[in-house]
Amino acid sequence: MLELRPMPEATVSPGVPKLLQEGYLVRFTNEWPETLPIKLRNKCFQIQRTNPVHYDLSYIIPTNDFRDVDISNAAGGENLYPEGLSTLYETALGFKPGNYLVHFYIPAGEAVSRLEQANMIPNVTSATLRYLGAKKPSDSPYEDKRIFIYSVKDLEPIILRVFVDSGIAFEKCVLGLEVNKCRLVEVTDPTKEQLTKAKKLLYYSELRW
Amino acid sequence: MPSLMQTMAASPRVFATEKRNAKIKPSLIVVDNVNAAADAVIGIVDRFTPAVTNGVAIPVVQTPTRLQINVSINACVSLRDELKDVEILGQLEVVRGTLLAPVVDANCFVTVAYDYEQ
Repeated sequence: MLELRPMPEATVSPGVPKLLQEGYLVRFTNEWPETLPIKLRNKCFQIQRTNPVHYDLSYIIPTNDFRDVDISNAAGGENLYPEGLSTLYETALGFKPGNYLVHFYIPAGEAVSRLEQANMIPNVTSATLRYLGAKKPSDSPYEDKRIFIYSVKDLEPIILRVFVDSGIAFEKCVLGLEVNKCRLVEVTDPTKEQLTKAKKLLYYSELRW
Repeated sequence: MPSLMQTMAASPRVFATEKRNAKIKPSLIVVDNVNAAADAVIGIVDRFTPAVTNGVAIPVVQTPTRLQINVSINACVSLRDELKDVEILGQLEVVRGTLLAPVVDANCFVTVAYDYEQ
């Protein structure tokens, strides 16, 4: 699941943690497939342990060119998916400033952000469609990450297409990641209150309704 | 913020190596050409190898010059504000002359202060 949290209009005190914490609840929707090694469909879990791990990826890319960054554990990927059957990775993603855009695809070739008209699909080779659904560094600053990716073992690869916009010969694109390793324990018979409090995790197909 | 002085007895001189997750922001350059044998052309060079991308399968080393100044013999020049928008993606080097035609002089002193982008 992919989530962009908007800039808050107000602050609360004491602050609310950005990342999932021990004791928090998560629930998976009915769309999660039964083909994954961990059965998640319509299930509720409690976070038993967490361990946030920081990581940076960086690429120097020429103008009007891009690199597809696969964050999964597939060959050539960045290995940022869990391997354990009771692990959820909550990955916060932020960008250092620069003249670049990031498009998200899951699975490969399927843009997360598109509009309903057939031609309104992100396309970095188009002077206009390169901006469709693109995330700019200011949308999720490195020090205040606002993009969250939720992954489990063998989830389809999420691809980040990092594109350097025209107007600069080369750009250094730095992607900051905070991988919050969460150990899940199933809540076999959750109460209505637990289900209400639990963070709902959508399957990627639900993002493109 | 670190700083480093080196003579231009060799060219190019490396002042800061690349940090993979940050750009280098030079904040000050001082060129002391007072005792040198001739006028100098001093350049700040950015040396890096780009990533493999969709368009370039085998990237090659790039060495763009980010700033260049002329410093007369008997002169000492310092730049601070002019460096405000200079960013180095890879390794920060200073050349006397050019990369292809360096003009070394052990009596030309260059000091560079820099920081890594946070």
